[in-house]
Amino acid sequence: MFWRKYRDYLSSIFFIAISLFMIYMARLLPKSKVMSIGPDFMPTVIGVTTLILAVLLLILTVMRTKERETALAKAEPEDFDYRRMLYSLVLILIYVFIMQPVGFILSTIIYLIPQFLVLAPDEERNKKEAIKLVVISIIFTIIVFLLFRYGFKIVLPAGLFTIKL
Amino acid sequence: MNEFAQLGNAFLAVCHPASLMFMFAGVIIGIIFGAIPGLSASMAVALMLPLTFSMSAVLGMNVLVAVYIGGISGGLISAILLNMPGTASSIATCFDGHPMAMNGQASKALSYGIVFSFVGSVFSFIFLTFFAPKLADIALKFTPAENFGICFFALTMVAILASGNLLRGLLSGLLGLMFTQVGMSPIDGTVRFTFGNPNMMAGFNTLTTLIGIFAISEILITAETKFSGDAKIIQVEPPKGLGLTWAEFKYQIPNAFRSALIGLGIGILPGIGGSTSGMLSYVTAKNSSKYPEKFGHGCPDGVVATETANNATIGGALIPLLVLGIPGDGVTAMMLGGFLIHGLSAGPLLFVKNADVVYGIFAACMVCITIMLLVETWGIKYFVRLLKIPKHILMPCILVLCCVGAYATNNRVFDVQSTILFGVIGYLYHKLGLQTTPFVLCFLVGGMMETYLRRGIMTYKSFGAFFQRPIFDVFFFVAIAIVIWSVIKSNRDRKQGKVI
Repeated sequence: MFWRKYRDYLSSIFFIAISLFMIYMARLLPKSKVMSIGPDFMPTVIGVTTLILAVLLLILTVMRTKERETALAKAEPEDFDYRRMLYSLVLILIYVFIMQPVGFILSTIIYLIPQFLVLAPDEERNKKEAIKLVVISIIFTIIVFLLFRYGFKIVLPAGLFTIKL
Repeated sequence: MNEFAQLGNAFLAVCHPASLMFMFAGVIIGIIFGAIPGLSASMAVALMLPLTFSMSAVLGMNVLVAVYIGGISGGLISAILLNMPGTASSIATCFDGHPMAMNGQASKALSYGIVFSFVGSVFSFIFLTFFAPKLADIALKFTPAENFGICFFALTMVAILASGNLLRGLLSGLLGLMFTQVGMSPIDGTVRFTFGNPNMMAGFNTLTTLIGIFAISEILITAETKFSGDAKIIQVEPPKGLGLTWAEFKYQIPNAFRSALIGLGIGILPGIGGSTSGMLSYVTAKNSSKYPEKFGHGCPDGVVATETANNATIGGALIPLLVLGIPGDGVTAMMLGGFLIHGLSAGPLLFVKNADVVYGIFAACMVCITIMLLVETWGIKYFVRLLKIPKHILMPCILVLCCVGAYATNNRVFDVQSTILFGVIGYLYHKLGLQTTPFVLCFLVGGMMETYLRRGIMTYKSFGAFFQRPIFDVFFFVAIAIVIWSVIKSNRDRKQGKVI
């Protein structure tokens, strides 16, 4: 419900902020001395256009608040599982930042096991299922590593220890 | 060398056993991604892109075509058997395909879908093969002014048509344009918006952006969706032969022809894509049918209309991509990424400089749809089994593959991290009700547009001189007219009480 209700406010404020930032940054860029438009031209045009459209969206949204509220009252409530999404996002972020120092194989196994468990339906979070997921994550990681190493000649980050195969 | 000789040579190259094997694998991977709801054709192409690094340009592009074709047609399997479209293109396939399956005609519905996917593809590829080179001859004469006009037209169309709401569409596109500004500017190489990070000098990589927007965001969206038990899969037996009698096939020809034309036309226009073409031809078939009341209750005509149209869209969408270098939707955007990886620039010059790649794609299209027809007809039993892979195991594995793909582009972890950034942007877009297609296309075409604009102004001294080129005028003013039309239309819709 939150997103449906405020999404236009959020989008317009987001776009206003980012366009102001863009215009400010574009003013710091050097102007061209040889032709009428230089490297600062496009960023300025994009920034100004975005600002105008975002302000327009904000005005329209404020003007049409009532209209939308009546429509929203009829709409079905939405149901999202934010807990699963946020945990997943945190796991993904940890994964991409430890990939370089820890290495592909280890970081992937460390990422996959909790990620499987986070997404797994509640009734499947028992010991037997967990062992299955651990096995899957190890097999999958090793297959991917070998496939890319030997099949596609792409060397993934080795990290803590170098594997010589 | 004339066109037929080139096409013949390309066929010989494509039919090399190694190439056939790769395309066979490509079609199967495409079908799997198409069939599993939550995975899409653009995701499949995104993940296959890094794998084509070590291949030759011709083979690499052929594999991508194979994945594309498999991905679009694979959606019909889950649409018919699960009542869940595997890809957006086959939404309308559910309407009649699933009722047919419920009436015990699952195998017949699949046969109709598969055979007419083939028919739609053949139609559009013949058109593509013989029409694209002619268009490229014209496009070769374009100056930067015309090219700028076409980019402007394409981006405006995408912003309006892909989202159905002018303001939101334009804004989502503009954010894409902002990201093109990062890195060195065209012509003079001024460094912009890198915040001192040397990794950002070359701008954001195309592939990492696309993987993030199409794949990572999809994983986050799946993570927050509550699963409502396992959907029931209807069992099927593989049909004998192609599963259709000649009379059944012949009866559908007028319907298929009309749908193929709709699909082709929509494919050529930027920003609309397979889902709309399927819907539109479904509605058209229903309206022009002698028995519209049967639609929605298991009428084969509905399956035929949708599947012919969404496959005909492939050939249509490849036309602006190959001729002008402008992708029309998510999947062709990924294909453009493929061209960039192999150091090719899509556009009319491709037909002159890399004719082998272009005709290779034409030949690959023909071969791949044949593979698709055979694989889907006789392998359906195995694809059905794949529908049972649980999401909580599938999605993390796909994420790992995305990260590996992003890493492989430049061998640096920075690309993996920026992929996640774009994934989060894609997710927020979804939550804010914005469309990602305008973002992606503006990101891809925006850099080109700035180059054309600045080159054009170098040639003609001022922007005003662009208007002396008639072709530029046509594209520019048609784009403006469409903007005005969509403003008027949305006002009218609002007065009639529709909420936008």
